Amino acid sequence: MSDALDLEDLENLEDLECELKVVETKADRTARRRMAIQEIAPGADWNDVEHAILTRRSIRKFKGRQPPAHMIRRILEMGRFAPSQGNCQPWSFIVIRDREMIAEMEQYCVAACQNMTANIDYTNYAPGSEQRAAIMQNTQQLNRESPNAFHPVPMTAVKSIANGRFAVFHKAPTVILILMDKRGVGIPEVDIGVVGTNMVLAAQSLGLGTCWVGFSKLLTSNTALMDKLGIAPPFELAEAISVGYPIGNPAQQTISRQTHQISWWEGGEQQILY
Amino acid sequence: MTAASVEKAVVDPDHLPVWDDPRETIFRRVTIELDKCDGCKLCTVVCPANLLELFGPKDNLKARLKADVTGCMSCNNCYAVCAGRGVYATEPYDFAGYYEQKRIGEFAFPRKF
Repeated sequence: MSDALDLEDLENLEDLECELKVVETKADRTARRRMAIQEIAPGADWNDVEHAILTRRSIRKFKGRQPPAHMIRRILEMGRFAPSQGNCQPWSFIVIRDREMIAEMEQYCVAACQNMTANIDYTNYAPGSEQRAAIMQNTQQLNRESPNAFHPVPMTAVKSIANGRFAVFHKAPTVILILMDKRGVGIPEVDIGVVGTNMVLAAQSLGLGTCWVGFSKLLTSNTALMDKLGIAPPFELAEAISVGYPIGNPAQQTISRQTHQISWWEGGEQQILY
Repeated sequence: MTAASVEKAVVDPDHLPVWDDPRETIFRRVTIELDKCDGCKLCTVVCPANLLELFGPKDNLKARLKADVTGCMSCNNCYAVCAGRGVYATEPYDFAGYYEQKRIGEFAFPRKF
């Protein structure tokens, strides 16, 4: 193949454009341009994408049945086309579909949570007791250092995991680990959120349930497992998503959620909406 | 008690949220309409915090909140699986006594604009 266009190619190209011009009438062209702006009437029904967003729930109880491999590939493919800063695509995936391996990961996280709850969960002791005061001091120190990681909400989950009341990976048949390339443009953590959201919504539209597993971060301190999975710089384990068929039919109806303030600036005025 | 009516109770800047203290956390915001409950057990299965249980005679089981629970994060998964639409959370899960609630409105179902 020649890497430069020769004169003949150019002539052919012009012919082709001429043909197109003849075939497409003015009315056709107007119709084509109008189609570019899709009119949505006020109060219109949800489209398929909106429907998937509204019926998505975080699924923490899965059926035992393994989703077919091609469906997981479909989901990953939707992640591949997610937007990212500078189109740097700072991600890579590890798909784990072996029960033993997921069980091994689970075991490590449970041990880590048991360790954590023993050292920082003051709710194990009665208010006013000496142990409670001592442990609360630990907790408060950690909370000051990293208030998000030691937020009370995940602390409740840590306790449930340590007690065996809650499974970190929700006993899902498939777990997708999302690795982040630390050399990504801007804030690669944001891109990880976006790629995961694409996959979660794709899964929802295919009838699969998913749940983000932030506790997967605990695995990063398991060097043997990191070696086994081949996770090494510049990549780090950023997030995990459990995938499987949900129990019940959580997509049968939409739920209510709190509203958030919207400050709306238009026509030189500000409105506060909810 | 609505989200908007909860006032910040603690002003000490060194104080950190205490997650088993009802003065600092909104508890028990789950409503269960017993006449709509057919005891199918699904809500007790899907609740991420494992807060719901069944009670009553075997032929007339109903869902209820467990006695000593604090972990509802108002995800409404219970409502999503409930065929009778009889169980739901209507208030945010928040450390309202510690964190000032800001820019949060009432609960609402998806609205069409």
